[in-house]
Amino acid sequence: MKGAAWIALLVALFTGVLASASDWRSPPPGEGPETVIVRTLEGRPYIAVNDLARLIDATKFWRADVRRLVLRTSAHTIVLTADNPFVVVDERTFWLRDPVRSQGGEFQIPVALVDSLPPDSALARLTYDARRGRVVVLPVSGGVGSPKVTLDGAVTRVVVPADHAEEALVVTRGRARFRVRFGGVFLGALPDSVPPGALVSEIRTIVAAGGSAFEMTMSPEAIGYRLLQDTGRRRVTLEVTRERGEGFESFAPETPPGERPLRVVVIDPAHGGADAGVVSGHAVEKNLTLDLARRLEGELEQQGIHVVLTRNDDRSVPAETRAELANRLHADLVIAIHFDGYVDPHARGATAFCPPASPTEDRLSDDEDASTPAAPASGPGRVVLLPWRDVSTRHAVQSRDLAEAVLSALELRGQGPTRLRERLPYDLLGVNAPGILLECATLTAPDDRDRVLQEEGMRQLAASIAEGISAYRRSQ
Amino acid sequence: MRRVFIGLVVIAVLAWLAYNWTRRSAHPPKMEAAVADSATAGVKAARLFFGAANGDSLVAESREMIEATGLHDRVAALVAELDRGPRARGVAVLPAGTSVLRVFLDDRGLMTLDLSGAFRQRFRGGASAEYLAVASLIRTIGANIPEAKQVLIICAGRPLATLGGHLPLDRPLDVADWP
Repeated sequence: MKGAAWIALLVALFTGVLASASDWRSPPPGEGPETVIVRTLEGRPYIAVNDLARLIDATKFWRADVRRLVLRTSAHTIVLTADNPFVVVDERTFWLRDPVRSQGGEFQIPVALVDSLPPDSALARLTYDARRGRVVVLPVSGGVGSPKVTLDGAVTRVVVPADHAEEALVVTRGRARFRVRFGGVFLGALPDSVPPGALVSEIRTIVAAGGSAFEMTMSPEAIGYRLLQDTGRRRVTLEVTRERGEGFESFAPETPPGERPLRVVVIDPAHGGADAGVVSGHAVEKNLTLDLARRLEGELEQQGIHVVLTRNDDRSVPAETRAELANRLHADLVIAIHFDGYVDPHARGATAFCPPASPTEDRLSDDEDASTPAAPASGPGRVVLLPWRDVSTRHAVQSRDLAEAVLSALELRGQGPTRLRERLPYDLLGVNAPGILLECATLTAPDDRDRVLQEEGMRQLAASIAEGISAYRRSQ
Repeated sequence: MRRVFIGLVVIAVLAWLAYNWTRRSAHPPKMEAAVADSATAGVKAARLFFGAANGDSLVAESREMIEATGLHDRVAALVAELDRGPRARGVAVLPAGTSVLRVFLDDRGLMTLDLSGAFRQRFRGGASAEYLAVASLIRTIGANIPEAKQVLIICAGRPLATLGGHLPLDRPLDVADWP
């Protein structure tokens, strides 16, 4: 009897574990291109009708009496009948070999239907990726294939098949993170390796809404690049050269090796006055930002850096005034100090926002006066005027370096997790200097809040940020 | 011995019931396909974006909705669903009570979205909350209103420089720029 009891208990627990394991296999809600998982019924691939309707943006109309489901889009109609292999798409009837099935109250459609859908612009283009067992929506801008790296003398070529080659764009031209964006969805595979001597390495994909993007590292020997869009052959070629040549554009200016000059650092304790910022328990953001700014001022002045605070008491300072102060002082760095707050207490840690390296930034030399526009880089450059509001994007490379250095210092001292977002923050509008908005901790997370409400917690936070600034100064 | 056996059986049954209860709580039953039993009312899947619980990113959720006609009704229905919050994972990041007052879409794909005053007045949080609130809105519109390429957010009929002082909203936001 005792043995039977143990067996009953173990069976119950084991069944529970198995059931929860099946949850782990569920596909996570995806970012990027829309995809749905294909399921197998009697050895044949099927797609659930709800998934299909969502992918092609169709409205469903159900006729219970004849067990018929009509999917209607703006220009097309698809008629599906239970247990029937014939599907009517507009005026045409297709035989799918396998019947439409009804399972658990939901129609399951043979995935072969994907190939029978009209290939016009009124319907999303779907493709069945049999290797990964999924159906993918190709956006209007199509698909992007596997990049192939080849060497030709001084030039390294990265050739990428792309349905709409004309949409390819270099969005970041720093050597450490060179980024090319495509309109289409990436359906290929990344190369396992690149030829020895290639000027490009570490090709990886990064998230890009409505398309895809590759990030790669350029060799220090590379001196220029150009992007060739061959719409006829549907491919994009990125050429990277180690020799000067006609039509090549230069990479983003990099800070010379050695120490970066840091004479003046402007620290902006955010919020103040009537604007308290995030309030959570006893933690009030405007007080914490001022407290931390003063501590950071002390830490940096020990390094011989002149520090200016945008406010030194509890008052509100308009954003324009803060920017004007930083510009008038010719600040070498601007750090806007914040503390974060979120709707869920599980969110914790620090976040840095830094200006993105926008395409418009490409056309301006970093060392020039921004008021001298239209100095095109080498090659067939366009004249792009940069609004003063976005002037901090000129310093995107340094700002990102600063963000990474500070976040790294916070992580090392256990003040993470950290995240970096490349988005122009409000505090840096019109600021002509490298800078970041730093959410130093999350006040709605109990652990973070308790930490920054303690003397030691704030002291360590200031020390970490100063350490990060010091690493940035040393170009580490 | 008999009491031990009964005790173990009770524990096993309770463990099983507890598991099923938590499973149902975490995963509400999937809506059945084509629940509309009429040939005239259409049902459509909308793709909604909510904030992840850890504040790192957005999480997507598909939801069946009665098809709305007209741009205003379509956008208003989406914003109302965002305001209701997720049914599965994630958290609602749009300020509570936000609704759509007016929507305009020009022939270049610029959508001007006039939201109720609650959008600004009820916003609480820092840059992460602000980022995800705007991202949730823009991604949801981009996923369901394909003709919208850019969105300019205004509030109660007036321009909105920023929601909480962390991100500028004075310019139209590219739908494709919010991964």
